[in-house]
Parts: sequence; C-alpha cells; structure tokens
Amino acid sequence: MNNNRVHPDDSQLVYSRVLHWTSTFGIAFVAVAFAVYVFELLPLKVSIQDIVHNWHLGAGELNQTFKLPTGWGWISDILKGDILSFASIVYISGVTIICLAAVIAVFLEEKNMIYAIIAILQILVLVVAASGFVGAGH
Amino acid sequence: MHVFFSNKSAQLALFAVFGLFLIFSPEVVFAADALPAEPLAWWIWILLLFVFSFCLGVVAVVAGVGGGVLFVPIVSSLFPFHLDFVRGAGLMVALAGALSAGSPLLKKGLANLKLALSMALIGSVSSIFGAIVGLALPSHIVQLALGITIVFIAIIMLRAKKSEFPEIDKPDKLSQILHIQGIYYEDSLKKNVDWQIHRTPVGLVLFVVIGFMAGMFGLGAGWANVPVFNLVLGAPLKVSVATSVFVLSINDTAAAWVYLHKGAVLPLIAVPSVVGMMLGTKIGAKLLTKVKTTSVRVIVITLLLLAGGRAILKGFGI
Repeated sequence: MNNNRVHPDDSQLVYSRVLHWTSTFGIAFVAVAFAVYVFELLPLKVSIQDIVHNWHLGAGELNQTFKLPTGWGWISDILKGDILSFASIVYISGVTIICLAAVIAVFLEEKNMIYAIIAILQILVLVVAASGFVGAGH
Repeated sequence: MHVFFSNKSAQLALFAVFGLFLIFSPEVVFAADALPAEPLAWWIWILLLFVFSFCLGVVAVVAGVGGGVLFVPIVSSLFPFHLDFVRGAGLMVALAGALSAGSPLLKKGLANLKLALSMALIGSVSSIFGAIVGLALPSHIVQLALGITIVFIAIIMLRAKKSEFPEIDKPDKLSQILHIQGIYYEDSLKKNVDWQIHRTPVGLVLFVVIGFMAGMFGLGAGWANVPVFNLVLGAPLKVSVATSVFVLSINDTAAAWVYLHKGAVLPLIAVPSVVGMMLGTKIGAKLLTKVKTTSVRVIVITLLLLAGGRAILKGFGI
C-alpha cells in the first residue's frame, strides 16, 4: 500500500471549496441580518414583543395571528428587519443546493453519469422541498 | 471526585448537574411553561438561549454527540417556546453545524461524497415526509414520540459498539455498481487505509427510517447515521463520523425547507441557538483532548434519559 497522503477526488474538492465559501458567507449573513433585526435598524413586519408574547403558540396559529405569509410570500417584505433575518436562514438552507449544482459539472466532465444523475435527483428533491409544494397544515 | 474528573471536566459535570436540576424544576428557574413571557425581558430569553446553546455545544462535542439531539429535548423542556419552533431551530442548529464542519472533512478525505450522496438521496425524501408528519400531528403526540425516541437514543448510546476498522470480506454488488469505496490517511497508524462497504441495500432502508425521524423531530441524526455506516455498512469509524456529518447537511436541508415554509423557524429563536451552538462546539473541540470524555458521555446520556422522560410526561399532559 502506498503510504503517501492520498488526495480526495476532484468532485469532493470542488464540493468542499464551494461549501467553504457559501457557508462562510452564510454565517456572516445570518449574524448581520440578526443584528439588523434585534436593533431594529429596519422596520419590522411583526414586533419583537408580539413574537415573544406568542411564541408559545404553534407555527400555524402564530402565522394566522399575524397573517404572516407562508411559502415564498415573505420575499415582498425583504426590506423588513425580521424578514431579512428569515432570508438569511433561507440562504443557509440553500447552501447544499448550490454545492450540489457545482459538483454536477465535475461529474459530467468525468463522465461519471451515475453520480451526475444522483446529484441531479438530489437537487430535484431539495428544489421540490424548497418550492413549498409539499407540506401539510395543522 | 478528582479521581474521576480533571478540573475542566468537573466544571462540565457541574454544568450538567445544573442542567439536570433545570430539567426537574424549570418552572422555578426560568418559569418555563408559563404561557406569556412577561416576567422576563425578551432579550434575557435570547441571551439565556444563546448561553444555553453555547453550553450544549461544548458538552455535545466532548460527549461525541451532535448538538441537535441534545437541543430539542432540553430546550423544549426549559424554554417557553412551542415545540414547532424548537424543532425548527434544532434542524437549523444541526444543519449549520454540519455545513461548517463539512468542508474540512471532505478536503481531508474523511467524509466520502459518493457514500453520502448514495444514502442521502433516499434519506432526504423520507426526512421531508417526516417533517410534514411532524408538523401535522398534534403537539402532545409529537412530544410523546420525541420522548420515546430520546430514551431510545440514550439506550443506543449506552449499548452501541464501535469498530475502528471493520473487516469486509466482499463488497456487495450495489456498492460496486455505485463505486462506493475509498482510501484515507490514518494519522494514528501513519498510513493510508483502504475501505469498502457491504449490505448497501440494508443501509438504504435504515436511512429511510433515520431520515423520517430526523425530519419529524428536528434532531439531526448523527446518533443513528454513525452506527449504520460503521456497524451495518462496515465503513471505518472516522469515515462513518465524517460522512454522517455530510449526510446531515443534505437530509436536514430537505426537512428545513418544510419547516421554513410552514413558518416554524423563528429567527429570534433559531439564530441565537445556531450561533451559540457553533461557538460552543468550537470551544468543545479545543477541550476535547483535556477532559475525560467518558464521564461527560455518561452525564449526557443521563441528561437525555431525563429529558426524554420529561417529554414523555408532557406528552401525557403530566
């Protein structure tokens, strides 16, 4: 056995590099957006006090109380502090999709069709989840 | 006491005992379960959540468990947030931790992309269904199921064996078709270790179950991923742990979207939890070589049993 340190596949290195930059940006985005939210540097959709007085309610009930949009309806309020903070969390949830998209190109270049297809299917699953088409209420 | 603990692990033990006390009497300390939160200013709750998540992060790393599995049962016991938001925050905690740990693990070749993608595809579909079911069921049913699951996890942690380098006589057909095999540099042996897996179809079925539970309870699922990779599929322990983190980042993403669309992620709860837990795990990783991990592990298992017991009682409305 060759005992020199081995190097991972190109696909793995590409995924690692994209993950590093996208997650680093994500953490910074989350921190800045939360500061904007709690210091009320932008107007809020729902005041912090209102959230605090109702966070014992279930998600469905709380959304109904404040008529909060579900799915992607929040985008039109992106310039509100609480929604911006929510958007930063949405970004974190999208990081894996970005990384998978990057690695598909490497699999295709390597003519590794099995993993190109698995990665495409994985993206489809995540995009369907992200689309908001799946779900059930209380 | 110094026979069993170094100074730092004694401090951790004291923290854990404090946590134990909180589980038994949260109403006295934090006034949890009181519906309106008037007695405390909102920022105190957020600060408490941040500090608590930080401590959980330290303990989780030292005990060798994911933060998510401790976060949901303990925070839902101590804080006045609805279980929906605790599970939403728990998923984000597990997801953010997995994303930040994933890059170096892939770069070092410890996490294996092919092994992870093969298992995550099916696991992510079931985690979406788990999240849908979890958000559709009445809270007391979810509490009860969560409690039973947490007690089950504690028992797995107590009894599960580990195999540093499992012996695989022959890889199965599916793993050969999927080219799931690898090689990594093992620092302790100062040499490269080749590995392959077997029983891939069994592993796929188990990942369906694990994904469902992770989505339903917002737990993260390192507690189940690692034994399946290591003991069922036969991957080396380090590869199992690292690949588990990577699988978490995919499966939790799928479930997280369902929670996001249902409005079950409140930034006011999720962000302090994520930041506290991430800072805590960084400190925990530095303490790792200096504390007696077995002692902390016993305390964490005790905490899990207590938190699970409390969730079961809550499920029965007691």
